[in-house]
Amino acid sequence: MEKIKLDVQALDLFFGKKQVLKNIHLSIPEGKITALIGPSGCGKSTLLRSINRLHDLHPDARLMGKILLDGHNILHRNTNVVHLRRRVGMVFQKPNPFPMSIAENVAYGLKINALCSKSEMRARVEQSLRNSFLWEEVADDLDKSALELSGGQQQRLCIARAIAVEPEVILFDEPCSALDPISTAKIEELIMGLRGKFTQVIVTHNMQQAQRVADYTAFMYLGELIEFGETRQIFEKPQQELTKNYVSGHFG
Amino acid sequence: MKSRFFWDTFFNKTLSAAALVSVLTLAGIFLLLLYNGLQAFSTIDIAEFLSAAPWNPAAYDAPVFGIGAMLFSTLIVTFGSMLIAVPLGIGTAAFLSEMASPRLRNLLKPAIEMLAAIPSVVIGFLGIVLVAPGLAQVFDLPNGLNALNGSILLAVMALPTLISVSEDAIHAVPDYYKEASYALGANRWETLLRVTLPACKSGVLAAVMLGLGRALGETMTVLMATGNATAMPHSIFDPVRTITATVAIEMGEVPFRTPHFYSLFACALVLFLITLGVNIAAERLAARLRKKGQ
Amino acid sequence: MRRPLFFLLPLLFVQCSHPQVETVVLKGSDTELNLVLQLAEAYMEAEPGVSISITGGGSGVGIAALLNGKTDIANSSREINAYETAMAYERGVQIEPFIFAADALAIIVHPSVGLDSLSLHDLGKIYAGEIRDWSQLGGKPGPVSLYGRQSNSGTFTYFRERVLKRDFSPDLKQMNGTSQILEAVKADPGSIGYVGLGYLTDNNGALREGIRVIRLARTNGEMAVSPLDQNMVYAGLYPLTRPLYQYTNGVPEGKTKTFLEFENSPAGKKIILENGYLSAREAGLAGNLEK
Ligand SMILES: Nc1ncnc2c1ncn2[C@@H]1O[C@H](COP(=O)(O)OP(=O)(O)O)[C@@H](O)[C@H]1O
Ligand SMILES: [Mg+2]
Repeated sequence: MEKIKLDVQALDLFFGKKQVLKNIHLSIPEGKITALIGPSGCGKSTLLRSINRLHDLHPDARLMGKILLDGHNILHRNTNVVHLRRRVGMVFQKPNPFPMSIAENVAYGLKINALCSKSEMRARVEQSLRNSFLWEEVADDLDKSALELSGGQQQRLCIARAIAVEPEVILFDEPCSALDPISTAKIEELIMGLRGKFTQVIVTHNMQQAQRVADYTAFMYLGELIEFGETRQIFEKPQQELTKNYVSGHFG
Repeated sequence: MKSRFFWDTFFNKTLSAAALVSVLTLAGIFLLLLYNGLQAFSTIDIAEFLSAAPWNPAAYDAPVFGIGAMLFSTLIVTFGSMLIAVPLGIGTAAFLSEMASPRLRNLLKPAIEMLAAIPSVVIGFLGIVLVAPGLAQVFDLPNGLNALNGSILLAVMALPTLISVSEDAIHAVPDYYKEASYALGANRWETLLRVTLPACKSGVLAAVMLGLGRALGETMTVLMATGNATAMPHSIFDPVRTITATVAIEMGEVPFRTPHFYSLFACALVLFLITLGVNIAAERLAARLRKKGQ
Repeated sequence: MRRPLFFLLPLLFVQCSHPQVETVVLKGSDTELNLVLQLAEAYMEAEPGVSISITGGGSGVGIAALLNGKTDIANSSREINAYETAMAYERGVQIEPFIFAADALAIIVHPSVGLDSLSLHDLGKIYAGEIRDWSQLGGKPGPVSLYGRQSNSGTFTYFRERVLKRDFSPDLKQMNGTSQILEAVKADPGSIGYVGLGYLTDNNGALREGIRVIRLARTNGEMAVSPLDQNMVYAGLYPLTRPLYQYTNGVPEGKTKTFLEFENSPAGKKIILENGYLSAREAGLAGNLEK
């Protein structure tokens, strides 16, 4: 059995009075790619955002239960959120590079966290861009605004920005839903290339994508985790009726 | 069908007419200023007009028409007010938008906007009875009616617009920028300074320009609160007389169509050109920021 | 549904048959404003058919309004100047002057200045910026801080003609009104200012605190007179006694005339004296309506 990087235990989440996550138990193995699937509105993004505590920004969100990162509960009030977020990076559904130059985007996290000296900066930026397969395309335009890139390039830039700070976990929230098939293929290739280096969790509503990239898959429905297992098992031999209906395309 | 077409044409024509009226009014004002202002120079030497010789059109012997000291005074009072209002205004806007609870924000923002409705005479009055004596005490001055007093009062007047408009701009920055920044380990302060504010700098610049415009053109407050000495000021603690105050004080007493009368139009023209220049510069800068940014 | 309109018709006639309210417009000197307001109130009470509208802005503003045909009477605390006279001639305005009261201009200083009398000559030097430290006149050492009115005030011009005969120092702090001068002089240790006699006393007639009233001498060495010494002032010995003018376009007629006459009546004089001003005749200046 692999080492467990993230362990979600009995997690409940409310927005005001509305319960959005119900008693979630989920163990995410280190270095692997785990997919979260389920119909729209079932709580996938909400679960993902709990893992780097983005709900802190919402005054009416309440969480109960535990999320252990290497055995430490990140929901504990003494957790240093800034430090946590540096260890757990995130790539969002809509590509969201900052309105700055390409190089500044990648350097942002490094500067904020003072992770390297000025002289190392350029090399780190280049390395991150290479790792996200963007270097060849932007090497001559590092000072150009990131907003002039295409959607697919922007999303790869966001990945470069996330990996530049060398997190341990990267969370992807439907990273390809706004992209064309060619850009999607590039991103998938990129995610698979990062397997082993990072623990990756990817939310997707595209079941082919989950099958192509993920080692493990979790199926959620109406705020509950219905089933979790190796990707092949979830898609070929689902244990639950609901999972079976969903992966065979009978609803959703 | 026919009636819809009629209404469409009707609105189209009405709106064009409204736009035309505004443009013609503005052009008319400008031409009036230009026509009357330029006539001043048929009797007044333009070099004298632009010099620092103290303005004294009703002098005991020969009238002196030097706008230099007033121009400088106008600039230091305005610049000073921006030095106070810009950090304070943007800080308040950022607090309201990013830190305050929605309830506090919904309470404070309308309250601040209502400050804009305070008539300038009231601000000037407060300057005379409250701020000026306070300044005199704090800085151990014989009298607090000086450039600094004007700057403070103008800052107070510029703040409501500045806060309201820049709060709108900051608030309009999409959450996904902020979330991306937080997700990289930035705290609220870093996110505000490095992501949120840069992302809305053209909006914030517009807010600053509106405030600057208000400060440059304000008459009543500076007339009441700055001491109105025509000498060239040497520090912010000297009394000053701005261009607006001069026009306001003298326009009432001047017989029409005299050199003094035209010279006041020339003053107004100078003020107009400054405001125009500032606005054009701001427009250019904002356009450039927009191109680089969002 | 037309009936109600017919009902209203007689009302219209009633309105028209009412004698029209006559309005007299006065504009100008802020020094005179308070006094003229009180005179006007008393006059309107005596003659209900007349409405008098008074605004300030300064003597220059009043005379300019008269030249521009915007007022019936221009209040002015200074004499019309040559430039304005020429302007009036050019525009066919027939300037008629009236002196309805007089005012003594008091010189006040902060008590710490350490002087209680000055000659007109030295006063001029002070306001022209030639004397910049009180020690030059034997006062307590310290810089002179000048207070006066804005250039649209008649007091500004009167003071310049009578005392300076040259330009004010550009360091003169130009206040919006006499009360502001008074407050500033109280607060500023090296200060000097000029105010109308009426402003020296409060509502109960007591001398205001925190200021010192300077005795003035016509020339160096001559006897210095305080503006508070009524006998000396009435004897014409206080050097800064000035007439308060009202100007009209042409010989006044109608209600403008009756108002000017009211000011000169015993009732009018009483109001003038009560407000701390001098009636024109007592101050040695004749009002022209009697002339
Ligand atoms: N900030 C919020 N306030 C209230 N309800 C929310 C908020 N965010 C999400 N929700 C609700 O939580 C549920 C789960 O949303 P989400 O996690 O975005 O679903 P998914 O990503 O699976 O499509 C939805 O019903 C959504 O309306
Ligand atoms: Mg989602």
